[in-house]
Amino acid sequence: MNVMITGASGGLGRALAAECAGRGYNLFLTDINEQGLRCLQSGLERQYGVCVTARKCDLTDDESVDEMLSVIDRNGIEFDMLLNIAGMDFEGGFLDRERESVVKIVSLNVEATLRITHAILKRRRAGREFSLVFVSSLASLYPMPLKATYAASKRFLSDFALAIGQELKSQNVKVLTLCPGGLPTTQEAISGIAAQGFWGEMTTNKLETVASRTIERALKGKRMYIPGTVNRTLSLCGKLLPRSFIAAIIYKRWIGAQSKWLSLESKT
Amino acid sequence: MKTVIITGATSGIGLETALKLTLKGYFVIGVGHSRENCDMAIEQIMRRNPEAKTVFFSGELMQQRELKRVAFELERYLAENCNGELYALINNVGGVRSWYQTTQEGYEQQFALNHLASFMLTYRLFPYIEKALGRVIMTGSNSHKGIKIQWKDVMLKKGYNPLTAYKQSKLCNILFAKALNDRYRRNGIAAYTVDPGLVKTNIGNKQTGKLVNVIWSLRKKQGVSPEIPAETYVFLCESRDAPKGLYYYLCREQKYSKEVTNENADRLFELSEKLCGIKYSDLVTEL
Repeated sequence: MNVMITGASGGLGRALAAECAGRGYNLFLTDINEQGLRCLQSGLERQYGVCVTARKCDLTDDESVDEMLSVIDRNGIEFDMLLNIAGMDFEGGFLDRERESVVKIVSLNVEATLRITHAILKRRRAGREFSLVFVSSLASLYPMPLKATYAASKRFLSDFALAIGQELKSQNVKVLTLCPGGLPTTQEAISGIAAQGFWGEMTTNKLETVASRTIERALKGKRMYIPGTVNRTLSLCGKLLPRSFIAAIIYKRWIGAQSKWLSLESKT
Repeated sequence: MKTVIITGATSGIGLETALKLTLKGYFVIGVGHSRENCDMAIEQIMRRNPEAKTVFFSGELMQQRELKRVAFELERYLAENCNGELYALINNVGGVRSWYQTTQEGYEQQFALNHLASFMLTYRLFPYIEKALGRVIMTGSNSHKGIKIQWKDVMLKKGYNPLTAYKQSKLCNILFAKALNDRYRRNGIAAYTVDPGLVKTNIGNKQTGKLVNVIWSLRKKQGVSPEIPAETYVFLCESRDAPKGLYYYLCREQKYSKEVTNENADRLFELSEKLCGIKYSDLVTEL
């Protein structure tokens, strides 16, 4: 089983890489952070004794992706699974952010994901099942003021995943969308969860559980995975209530949490 | 002047031990998480002991890349300023996490920080300790009792429980000390684990979630001042002939878990070597 993981050296990427390595899969890891990749590669090799290839790549850059693909083609690597983990967000309201960083969210979360998905689907192992995973977010379920660009970019991914899943069903491609709540991956993420108070802790998922269930469900051909009962209930509310009403509620909730979070961050 | 290195020396037990050892005339090299913490620690030590001889190095020891950099700086410093001799290495650094979190290597953080960091730093500094016929002291905990190493899933990925991870890492500390004694006692090196008891420190309030934070804030009120456990470290450094025991509480030998066996100690030693990509035998010859 050959698996490509993008954004592999981040918290969720590392957890999924460990999960796959534990299952004995061969890994092709990519990330923009080369040092992180090298550390992860040696860590996985030592811990699980699996075959790990790691290559730095800027997925938002066509040239960088082409270079990586040429290495893949030269070695005749074909894939059975792609985990699209690479993604980003910047904190703060739309006009409080730099123009470039707002656009960057879409170029990584959407454009780059399409670029690598297309390339790897073209390099899937012939005659076998292929599993494709998109990391969307609980945020994709609602219009989210103050996280507008991020939430919309994740909405793109879940809609796209569902559609492409239908389109490629007959070609043995199974597509799973993962919609996690908060994940305690970094110190920053943890202080973000703390700033949201009660609901922050309630919507937070366990990283190790999310990682193992994601792979389990991808292999089973499930389409959607929303981890956690609270999150699944919230997602149901999202479907039942008018979208403009939801946007108003979320704005109220986030405006407090975000200013608290930003002040926490500036202190540390 | 004898040189001592203490990791996690910017607060709590580490800082208090650092201060006490400077008062006893040791040259103390502290290691802390950040430069700011280190500068504050130096200030506190100097305020309470203006004669203190101390320097601090900073780095995030949980990440192996960082640890290697710090180890390199320490090696150079010891060679240039301390006649290449390290009288004691106090592996005190440790932490608590609320969730399963990993290092850059994909290792569970409590295992990586509380055990692997000590394992690897001891390896790097071993020649200097050997030259001084020195001592290696770990900060353990009584909570290492009543638990086994989960060999099949040592990073505790399945059903992660933060407290189990902490206890297991503390069992690792004492197993490591035992393995060092078994291998290198004849090289003149002695290793110990100290049970500090329940101490008023901020260990449970750093990088943890609300629940662990609240529980620890309540629990630490029952704790003693870090000055109390610091005495045990001083005792282990000051005894002229290396004390014979392995596990100490309030300067006295204590009973430890039945899980501290040769077999477990060897198994952990081998696993840790693999996870750190090192071999003690490349560096030292067992006598």
